[in-house]
Amino acid sequence: MDTIAPVHIRPSWWYVTRLMAFRPGVYLLSSIGIISFYLWPLVPGIFVRQIFDLVAQGATLGSDTHSTLWGLAGVLVGVAIAKSFSALAYPFGEHAMILMTNTLMRHNLLRRILQRPGANPLPPGSSPGEAISRLRDDMEHISVFTTWTADPIGQLLAFSIAFVTLARIDLGITVFGFLPLVVILTLVNLLNGRIRRYRKASQESIGQVTGLLGELFGAAQAVKVAGAEERVVAHLQRTNDLRRSAALRDQLLTNMIEAVSFGAANIATGVLLLLAAQSLQSGRLTVGDFALFASYLGWMAFVMGMVGGYLTRYQQMGVSLRRAVELLQGAASETLVRHDGDVQMRGDLPPLAVPAAAQRDPLAALSASGLTYAYPGTSSGIACIDLAIASGQFVVVTGRIGSGKTTLLRALLGLLPLDAGAVDWNGRRIDDLAAWMVPPSVAYTPQVPRLFSETLRDNVLMGLGDSEATGDELLRDALHRAVLDRDVPLLDHGLETMVGPRGVRLSGGQLQRAAAARMFVRRPQLLVFDDLSSALDVETERLLWERLAGGDGQVGDGLPGAPTVLAVSHRRAALQRADVIIVLKDGRVAAHGILSELLDSSAEMRELWRAEKDH
Amino acid sequence: MQVSFAQYRQLLGTYLAPQWRRMAALAGLLVIDLVLQLSLPRVVQGFIDSATAGVTLRTLVLIGTAYLVVAIAQNWTLVGWQYLAQNVGLSATNSIRADLTLHCLKLDMGFHNAHTPGEMIERVDGDVTKLGNFLSQFVVQLLLNGLLLLGAMAMLFLVDWRVGLPTAIGVVVAIVSASALTGRLASYSARERQASAELFGLLEERLSGTEDIRANGAVAYVLRRHIERSRTLFRTSVLRAVLGVISWRSLNTAITIGAIISLAVGAALALDGALTIGQVYLIFAYTNMLANPVEQLMRQLDDLQQATASIGRVQQLLDTQPQLTDNADGTPLPAGALAVGLHNVSFGYPDDELVLRAVSASVPAGTTLGLLGRTGSGKTTLTRLLLRLYDPTGGEVRLGGRDLRDVPNADLRARVAIVTQDIQLFSATVRDNLTLFDPTIPDAQTLAALETLGLSEWLGGLPHGLDTLLASGGSGLSAGQAQLLAFARAFLRDPGLVILDEASSRLDPATERQLERAVERLLAGRTGIIIAHRLGTLQRVDQIMILEDGSVRENGRREQLVRDPDSRFSQLLRIGMEEALA
Repeated sequence: MDTIAPVHIRPSWWYVTRLMAFRPGVYLLSSIGIISFYLWPLVPGIFVRQIFDLVAQGATLGSDTHSTLWGLAGVLVGVAIAKSFSALAYPFGEHAMILMTNTLMRHNLLRRILQRPGANPLPPGSSPGEAISRLRDDMEHISVFTTWTADPIGQLLAFSIAFVTLARIDLGITVFGFLPLVVILTLVNLLNGRIRRYRKASQESIGQVTGLLGELFGAAQAVKVAGAEERVVAHLQRTNDLRRSAALRDQLLTNMIEAVSFGAANIATGVLLLLAAQSLQSGRLTVGDFALFASYLGWMAFVMGMVGGYLTRYQQMGVSLRRAVELLQGAASETLVRHDGDVQMRGDLPPLAVPAAAQRDPLAALSASGLTYAYPGTSSGIACIDLAIASGQFVVVTGRIGSGKTTLLRALLGLLPLDAGAVDWNGRRIDDLAAWMVPPSVAYTPQVPRLFSETLRDNVLMGLGDSEATGDELLRDALHRAVLDRDVPLLDHGLETMVGPRGVRLSGGQLQRAAAARMFVRRPQLLVFDDLSSALDVETERLLWERLAGGDGQVGDGLPGAPTVLAVSHRRAALQRADVIIVLKDGRVAAHGILSELLDSSAEMRELWRAEKDH
Repeated sequence: MQVSFAQYRQLLGTYLAPQWRRMAALAGLLVIDLVLQLSLPRVVQGFIDSATAGVTLRTLVLIGTAYLVVAIAQNWTLVGWQYLAQNVGLSATNSIRADLTLHCLKLDMGFHNAHTPGEMIERVDGDVTKLGNFLSQFVVQLLLNGLLLLGAMAMLFLVDWRVGLPTAIGVVVAIVSASALTGRLASYSARERQASAELFGLLEERLSGTEDIRANGAVAYVLRRHIERSRTLFRTSVLRAVLGVISWRSLNTAITIGAIISLAVGAALALDGALTIGQVYLIFAYTNMLANPVEQLMRQLDDLQQATASIGRVQQLLDTQPQLTDNADGTPLPAGALAVGLHNVSFGYPDDELVLRAVSASVPAGTTLGLLGRTGSGKTTLTRLLLRLYDPTGGEVRLGGRDLRDVPNADLRARVAIVTQDIQLFSATVRDNLTLFDPTIPDAQTLAALETLGLSEWLGGLPHGLDTLLASGGSGLSAGQAQLLAFARAFLRDPGLVILDEASSRLDPATERQLERAVERLLAGRTGIIIAHRLGTLQRVDQIMILEDGSVRENGRREQLVRDPDSRFSQLLRIGMEEALA
């Protein structure tokens, strides 16, 4: 079953510490910047106090009080300038750290998603557009919090320095200042569940919006031709409005917790001031002492107030973390923050590892038994399918729509997780289908192939041949075999033509053949394709079958060098050339054999064949 | 990146005017916040003066309580206006998102063929989100913090003009440089936003093609592309942040230095006996108070330059106008079947060779044309012209006797239905997917359409019938079933022209034959254009047209072409037969 086993999730801080350790130097710089944010406001207080004391005692001092005063002012200006320089720690520290850890997590998630059975890479209810909100907003929340780990240190330092300074003036008064922390901690603890719930709803509502936008712009033509622009935008407005109320609720709660925190801190400050005022009256404090007291107390109150917000954000970060782990779908949650040497922001990237050209185990026979897969929550899928392919054979899978043809290919290739069944390559069991059934063993063209917004060359090679001298020749040969060679010179910039999002600038048939070229250029031992000729005209299709066999030979003629092929097709050309036809019905094998036998023995085959013949 | 004052004003006017009540309440709360903030030092000053004057503890407690009330009232005022500001911001950005989406959906296909869905998510959602703060708070914050700054400065001048002057100089220097910096910094922000849009464009596209990537061993390549795009974002983003910090920090420092000099001047005056120590404390308190509005103003300015970049990018989208002007007041198409007339139609995609060359043809109302040609011969382009997704470069396309350029787009799209090879499904209910969010279509009609197409059994297997949510991309639905759903969409409308572009190519022959009767019903009393590679699909058409390299190679009544052994159609039939007999 395709259910995801519950994943062990560690406490949020564990992931954060792993991210901190990803770039320790940058993290250190980031932390210095943050800690100094808390400490800088304490520095002027010391000099200001001296200025006040100077003024208070001014009359009794000599004539150089003025120069002392201006000296102190000079120091303050120096402090202000130093502070402004230290702010550069932000872009190179905090900001850089956020971007780096963001990239690392996105990279780990993308790698995992691409490892997933390719046919359902995202969790239920997600879509590429929805996933964008996780890869963008949730990553951001986690990364930002990672840099914020320095905040408690800064807060503690600021607090301690202020405390010690004030305690030296008056210990009794100062101890009172800690009380609000107790209030704040209790409050946030009480509200933990609500904080997380509101944040979850808010993040999910953002995902709804990005998901819908992705679909709308992916289906722009369909929307336009149906004249449905206004209607889909009305639907967007409804989704938007849900997002607004979820976000408002989430932020209101955060703001209220902060207000209560600051309120508690303010009350403590007020009481402290009262106590200090008494000391001022009794002459135990000077006006300078009092000024320092007032300025530090203000800052202490601010820092304490921030603790409430900080703890709230820790909870909210935990929500983002869970949403990210959902994208990992069953992989160890630690994968999210695994360090990866490829994630380098500077310098040359190591050359791309190309799948080993050396043939790992030349295909003699592929066999599968008992392949079973049901789409979650439905009864549709395939059950107990056996098949065998020998080297050089041409095997065709056929059947009505919804009979499980595509599901069979996907299951065999590890693009869907098998519920039951096994696959043997040359008699050896393949444990990890998804890892094995890729080039150079197998290459695949799906029924609705996807191209990407790159050049045609990039789309066919997809990183292949970047490091190979023979790249060009391989490419020419693949284009020829895919019957795309005639089209390339007609395109705007030949192979360098940008094909547009999802390949929209190519015609349907060109797109299909480009995907076929992408499969051929990998020179796999087994070619797997699904309904490859659905957008091809009769002549192009004939050429494709001819060239597939390697020139004038026939597919499946058993000659040495003939490719081994597993294809889904209804086309007569394919059925006639097949060494074996597998007829599927309702997810099971209804019959198998060569065409002439099947036409005698299988009613389903006759039905499919008669229909095609009628045409 | 230049955005004119008028553009800011227009944006604010359009999206804030409907929310003027909230804006007024927001401004009111901000004023209260300001007054409370300004009064806090006064309370402390009174406290010091009373304390040094030796008043009773009772009075001190009273003043202390006053301080607390003011401080806590300020905290909750903050909660109040933040809530209002967020509400205003979210409402305004939601409206912008909706307007922008509608505008972009109405743009020509040329636009959509140049921007990936992921990029559009970033432009419509990411960029606009950056405007939330600008829309809801910028003007008010600028005014209030400006006032706070002026107020604190005025207080300093009230103490002594020599005390006020240094701070005033610092503020003037900062304001002058800030206005010079904003526009320049915005262009760096715009680059960062574009890098972000391209990164998420890449991700969205790759997430939609995992099967292709995975099964062709291109995982490492895709991961590499991700790193490359992330590096571009990293470079542009750090550069923007560095420039921002340098700019805003130096302005802040200019004001801070002014304030320090003010304090020193005050202290010097006190030394000379011109001011009391209480007044020096007041100076200290007010210079301290400058920090907050200055910090707030710098933050708003930094936000402004990022918002400016976003406004520029939003404006760029809004400035993109469809090449095809909608003649919304034109006369609607006649009722019933629509005759199709192509007169010398030529077409080429921008900066590209002609795809169609002087194509002329006519399909009488109520008859069906079969369109044949190699892939890339211009068949699909011709359907796009009929839907007016593009206008012809030369010649004219007529429907029901009218040039399409004179027909209102809404009318045209309501009267022409197309079923293509690929169907786009939304993560929405089956009903919304079929009606495309049109609530006026009754369920009975939807159910009847599914029945006609033999999809009743499929519907019956769904847990919630028409209310079942279909997953994005329709996983669990086979490509063939999805194609039938595309037919269902056409059945729910009453078009005068039906275009089937490879509409049954993903169906197995048995299902396709079952579909034939449904198609006959769809075409009854309507004009039809059927594009197919399988010649069998064209058995019932009245007329055949064959395109070759964008020109009409052959056009005639089907029976005539079949009878003529030299016709291209006959040749094609023979190839098809050979294949069948091989």
